[in-house]
Amino acid sequence: MHALALSAGSLRFALPVRAVAKVLPRTRLKPVPLAPPTVAGLLPYRGTLTPVVDLCRLTLGRDAQPRRATRIVVVDVGTERLVGLLAEAVLDLIEIQTTVPGLRLPEHPWLGDHLGAQVDAPQLLDPAQLLPETLARLFVPAGGASESVT
Amino acid sequence: MHGSELARRQRWLVGIFAVLFLIFAFSAWRTLERVRVNGPIYSEIILGNVLIADILPPPAYIIESYLLALQLVDERDPARINDLVERGNRLRVEYDARQAFWRRTLPSGETADLMTNVAAEAAHDFFKLRDEIFVPAVRADDRARVREALPQMHREYEAHRLAIDRVVQLATESNKQLEAAAEATIERQRLILLVLATAILAVVAFIAVQGQRHARALSERIATASAIAGRVASGDLTTEVPETEGSDESSQLLRAIASMTASLRALVTRAKQASIELMSTATEFAATSRQQEATVQNFGSSTSQIAAAVKEITATSSELMNTMEGVNQVAGQTAALAEQGQSGLTHLDATMDRLAQAAATMASRLAAIREEAAEITGVVTTITKVADQTNMLSINAAIEAEKAGEQGLGFLVLAREIRRLADQTAVATLDIEQMVKQMQAAVSAGVMEIDRFAEEVRSGVASVADVGGQFGQIITQVKTLSERFDAVSHGMRSQSLGAQQIGDAMGQLTDGARQTSTALREFNSATESLRDAVATLRQEIAQFNVGG
Repeated sequence: MHALALSAGSLRFALPVRAVAKVLPRTRLKPVPLAPPTVAGLLPYRGTLTPVVDLCRLTLGRDAQPRRATRIVVVDVGTERLVGLLAEAVLDLIEIQTTVPGLRLPEHPWLGDHLGAQVDAPQLLDPAQLLPETLARLFVPAGGASESVT
Repeated sequence: MHGSELARRQRWLVGIFAVLFLIFAFSAWRTLERVRVNGPIYSEIILGNVLIADILPPPAYIIESYLLALQLVDERDPARINDLVERGNRLRVEYDARQAFWRRTLPSGETADLMTNVAAEAAHDFFKLRDEIFVPAVRADDRARVREALPQMHREYEAHRLAIDRVVQLATESNKQLEAAAEATIERQRLILLVLATAILAVVAFIAVQGQRHARALSERIATASAIAGRVASGDLTTEVPETEGSDESSQLLRAIASMTASLRALVTRAKQASIELMSTATEFAATSRQQEATVQNFGSSTSQIAAAVKEITATSSELMNTMEGVNQVAGQTAALAEQGQSGLTHLDATMDRLAQAAATMASRLAAIREEAAEITGVVTTITKVADQTNMLSINAAIEAEKAGEQGLGFLVLAREIRRLADQTAVATLDIEQMVKQMQAAVSAGVMEIDRFAEEVRSGVASVADVGGQFGQIITQVKTLSERFDAVSHGMRSQSLGAQQIGDAMGQLTDGARQTSTALREFNSATESLRDAVATLRQEIAQFNVGG
């Protein structure tokens, strides 16, 4: 099992590869007025407008700084819904060997166990839990289904 | 006493006048007596005329002509005839002349008429007969005619005689009347003369009396005037002159003397006052002149002091001149040094220029390097992008491979390798970027250094220029200084001259002071004389008593 290592500031996270649809360079996003700040915009992806969420915003409360390794990771959050995750830096593909549980935050279930018992061990992100309920509701179009990715 | 003198003289004069007048009156009476009509002289003259008249044949009477004619009647001698005719013609001429006279002279009246008309006509006829008929007849010895003419002539002669006798009568009557009238007039005149003489004598007596009175008054006034004059002469100016009326010379004299006395009094009073003022003035003069003497003394000492000061000035001027010379020399040397400095700076200037040029060259070279560094950076950026893309691609590939499961394992390795290469490239490019940045920094630093250097060179050049300018200023100022020195020397010389002149002037002033001193002494003596004179004047004036 491999995971895509990301970083947000000095925080390191990892996304299971299975959930990753594509890694894309940081392109221009269509702005969404009146959306919460965690929403970076809408990404045109294969004929759809995929909402993109800023990982930095989610975790650090600030916008992602533009870096050369900044990527938009198109994530499958289950139920054939895609969400873009704006990662400040995509590092590498790493192999998941061990998971060590850290601290579970009830209101942030998407923060999972850590891939090691080191200080700089990346924390797993659960894509299905990635979006908090309130945020997830925002992304669901009323009665409409988006094209799923295979 | 003067009064009697005047009166006596007056009496004498009047007496003499009266006597002379009486003599005159008496002689006038006598003359009248003698020259009156029918008086002795008149009678004598008339007697003389009567005698002449008795003897001479009157020319207005033609009796002589008649007589001649009668004589001609029987005369045969032609010489006698001529002679008689000649005398007859002469008589006619005389008659005509006398006729003309009486025609002119006689006042018109019966006498004139008889004389100039009636008698004249008869005479005229007589003469006409005689000259036109009788004489030619006589000459021609025409007896008949002669006898004819004669009675005619006689008739005319008688007529004339009658008329002429009447004239005589009338004239005699007239004369008598005139004599009577003259007599009356003379009598009247003698009466008048008598009356006048009496009156005049009375008047003379009256005048004599008046004259006496006037003479007395006059002599009184004159006496007063002389008394006053005498008192004034003796110095008493307080005399009061009595008021005088009258307009004659003596009153005028008295009044004149009064005013003269008053004027004299005023004059002497003023003179007294003036003499007092003069005295005080003379005293002031003396004081002033003493002050002046003192001043002149001071002046003398001041002059000596000034002379000493002038000497000092001259000495100081010489010292100053020497100092100036020394300073001038030093200034000259400074100028020479400054010029050397200037020429030295020119070299420096050239060097600086070369430095500046070298700096500019280096700057341009560094700029070139910077450009190339920029190009490298561009290339590196491209490489980085490619590496980036490669990285992304490899990741995507790995993801797909992972999803593919078993089949994708080999691909996964491959993707990992590619990713490693890309990462290495990225790292390398980072290094390159770093190096380029360092190079650029170095270049920038170098450019800055060169700029600073160029700036310093420029400022150096500017400094050199400044220094050159300052040298130039030094030189100019030294030149100015030289000129000023010249001016000062000139001034010094003038000052020396001036001091000399002052010395000369001092000498002159001293002479002048000496002269002034002499003059003052003279003035002093003059003042003394003045005081003496004033004292004398006062003495003289003191004689006069002005009563004040």
